Amino acid sequence: MTPVPVPRQGRRHRDRVFRLALVAPSIVVLLLVGVFPLVYLIVVSFQNLTMSDTDTSFQGLLNYRLVLTDARLWQSLLHTLIFIAVALPTELVLGLAMAQLFIERIPGRAVFIALLVLPVLVSPIVAGATWALMFDNRFGPINQILGWFAGEPVSLLWTIKPSLVYAAILIAEVWQWTPFMFLLLLAALSAVDKSQLEAAAIDGASWWRTFRQIVLPAIWPVMAVAILIRALDLFRLFDIVWALTKGGPGTMTETISMFTYVKGFQQFETSYVAAVSLLIIVLLSTVVLWTLKRVELSR
Amino acid sequence: MADLRIKGLHKYYGSVHAVRGVDLEIAAGEFTVLVGQSGCGKSTLLRTIAGLEDADEGTIEIGGEVVNDEPPRRRDIAMVFQNYALYPYLTVYDNIAFGLRARRTPAGEINAKVRQAAGMLAIDHLLDRFPRQLSGGQLQRVAIGRAVVRSARLYLFDEPLSNLDAQLRDEMRGEIKRLHQELGKTMIYVTHDQIEAMTMADRIVLLRDGRIEQQGAPLELYERPATRYVAGFLGSPPMNFIQAELLGDGGGVAVRLTDGTTLPLPASRTPRLAPLAGQPVVLGLRPEHIARAPAAGLRAGQVRHTARIDLLLPTGARTYATFALGGAPVVAELQAHDVSKTGEQLELAIDMNRSVLIDPTTDHVIA
Amino acid sequence: MRRRRLSTVLRTAAAVLLTMLFLFPIYWLFMISFKTAEEIFAFPPKWWPSRIGLGSYAVLFKDGDATTVANSLVIAGASTLIAMFLGTLAAYSLARWRTGGEHLANWIISQRMVPPIAVVFPIFLLYVFLGWVDTRVGLILLYTAFNLPYVIWMMRGYILDIPRALEEAALVDGLTPWQVLWQVVLPMSRAGLFATAIFTFVFAWNEFIFALVLTRTEVTTYTVQVTHYFGGQSNFWAKISAMSVLGTLPIFIVVGFLQKYLVRGISMGAVKG
Repeated sequence: MTPVPVPRQGRRHRDRVFRLALVAPSIVVLLLVGVFPLVYLIVVSFQNLTMSDTDTSFQGLLNYRLVLTDARLWQSLLHTLIFIAVALPTELVLGLAMAQLFIERIPGRAVFIALLVLPVLVSPIVAGATWALMFDNRFGPINQILGWFAGEPVSLLWTIKPSLVYAAILIAEVWQWTPFMFLLLLAALSAVDKSQLEAAAIDGASWWRTFRQIVLPAIWPVMAVAILIRALDLFRLFDIVWALTKGGPGTMTETISMFTYVKGFQQFETSYVAAVSLLIIVLLSTVVLWTLKRVELSR
Repeated sequence: MADLRIKGLHKYYGSVHAVRGVDLEIAAGEFTVLVGQSGCGKSTLLRTIAGLEDADEGTIEIGGEVVNDEPPRRRDIAMVFQNYALYPYLTVYDNIAFGLRARRTPAGEINAKVRQAAGMLAIDHLLDRFPRQLSGGQLQRVAIGRAVVRSARLYLFDEPLSNLDAQLRDEMRGEIKRLHQELGKTMIYVTHDQIEAMTMADRIVLLRDGRIEQQGAPLELYERPATRYVAGFLGSPPMNFIQAELLGDGGGVAVRLTDGTTLPLPASRTPRLAPLAGQPVVLGLRPEHIARAPAAGLRAGQVRHTARIDLLLPTGARTYATFALGGAPVVAELQAHDVSKTGEQLELAIDMNRSVLIDPTTDHVIA
Repeated sequence: MRRRRLSTVLRTAAAVLLTMLFLFPIYWLFMISFKTAEEIFAFPPKWWPSRIGLGSYAVLFKDGDATTVANSLVIAGASTLIAMFLGTLAAYSLARWRTGGEHLANWIISQRMVPPIAVVFPIFLLYVFLGWVDTRVGLILLYTAFNLPYVIWMMRGYILDIPRALEEAALVDGLTPWQVLWQVVLPMSRAGLFATAIFTFVFAWNEFIFALVLTRTEVTTYTVQVTHYFGGQSNFWAKISAMSVLGTLPIFIVVGFLQKYLVRGISMGAVKG
């Protein structure tokens, strides 16, 4: 019996249109933010637009060469990396410790967790402002408490003195984001297979050994995601530093984001900023892709 | 109710050819069971009939109209899923009424139909409960109720009983069969369980690797299998297969096994088999065709054979005894007290009337 | 038995201590907002106000600064709704039929990795060209665009967890694919919807850089408004704290009501990756 040919267009076509129609609006919106700026950056970075000069002729690698010699840029990159290198492990370790604390039932657990989430919900600007208040040299409680220990009034200029600004910023940052790590790691720890832990206990493994060989591998996928997200966020650090020190004293705490902002919106070096922005995007993308490949997170 | 005609159906999943040219005709009101191992294409076939999958080639006709291009909701079908697929946030009543509401049936009619379906399935006392409060058997009844309430012309069942324990399964099998008798609708039922297929079907369609191996009434497939696969699939415990050779023996034919045992075949089969003497064959014997030799002598076609029993599996009414025949372990179905312990020697009567001979090169049944 | 009880007591004590430590700065912020000017600048600083003074708040309302909170509400609310709507639709398509394949999925994730600072300038210029600077529409659209990848990714995960059979049953029962999305998929993913919406809203509410660059006087959001009180010499602590509280309290309240979804949302998001 020969099969009767059937028109395939009707049903399949309708289905495909429906599925595409579902994603189309989102794609359009994303193109606005995704494609246009990229194109613009690429084009403009090869020009020489500044506050005074509106010449749009091709300038070759002028801006990129400037990037290489710009000390302030590289310093801001260094500052950013310092923030990442200190804040990220601190948040991770503290968050893990807190998660361990809460993994077993204690009375009012849900209330504690709900309260501990609050710092994450506050705007980073408000977090910065809050800690600026806390660190105020005369009226802030931090100096007041230190004064109790020292026996005499303490008047540390946390947001101005070079030796203290990094500590101040890091304390505020860690305060705000450790709860985020805490929540994520708590969820991951809760998902660890209890029967494996019980087997280890019966086998007589020490707490550290159990942690290292059973718990850590089990929570690693979540931890890796958390680290990636936080690292990306820390790279963009702006709000909290802006509120505490505005990048000062001088440019001592200026992050790469703040550097870009200053160059773009205070000095209006359009093309230069374009080159810098493009480099940031390329740098981040490479790092992220390399990390993802290595850790194999994509499903 | 409607009839179903499938012509030349092909379905691919990527590079996997799941359904390979299936031709099937199901009369209106028939209870058809699609049965086969995992991966044979039975679920794919069912889902394609439902419209949840698109056929790549071939036509599907329900009640005379080609439905290939129609989405499921226009095919006037109802379906019962393996995992019930009940909406957890709706009550049992709302779950059953879901399809009627989607088709804008007036509320009064919905109420009457839901209660009638619930009554038919003995779940009327559960209408206000939520799925999470129900047991597996109750959930399955609700799922069936949702299908039944709409009076569709074709009912599809996708392994609905696989998640139930053995006892419940027995009970539900009877329920579904009774439902079919009451409603008289065309029903297609997919299962991997050959007992379900045997007990419930008006017609069995045995699928293998995307093709129909054989179809027909249950007893037809059981007693006259077309291939070795069908012979070995139906029946529990399965048919015994023994390597042998066909012998022309004086005026008749016999099979000679590798250990030298010769089993003469009944005279009625001689004309058919004589031309094939000398060929290797596979002898198929069902356990129920090997019994303890009766004291009053053998019937025509029965062959006496003495064997030592190696293994005993009593099940209450019957005992399954394993012994060696032709170098292979063979299972016989004996009465409970025919044998008392392993190692015993027993005289058996092998009924060669019902034996099946298979060509080892084609795996087709010769006779 | 006794060891377990001692451990619980110690843990609870540690939890209390930890919570107090983390909440202290927030307490301080709230407290400063209730103090009068003299109290704020009293030395040594007192740790509680003599009474709950609303003077600082009154000033904000009188000066009209409090309207910035309304701006934040409108902008964050609208962008969340739009992002949730469009994103969930796209997530459904991606989850069920892998529309666009890996390329589309990867492109969407990559959008999330874009650092705002890198695109803020071109977007600013684009908005100048379109006349969208200092408008609500401009910020709403931008926040929507920035939240979409997150919404799509999270909702995709939640939708993948819904058994397909439920949707198939609905299709057989008589629903169109569009109806299936609304009547089956969305109710089933309610927890995920709430959790994702909360995060999206909080992100838009607290956003600073884009608001700083793209607003002038008409549509200031509360985050930018707070920075207006930072002076060169001295900061208007009263206004800063009061404005901060005004901007933070709504979030606390909203999250307080929906907190079980939030925690579940973070954990699910974490376990899915």
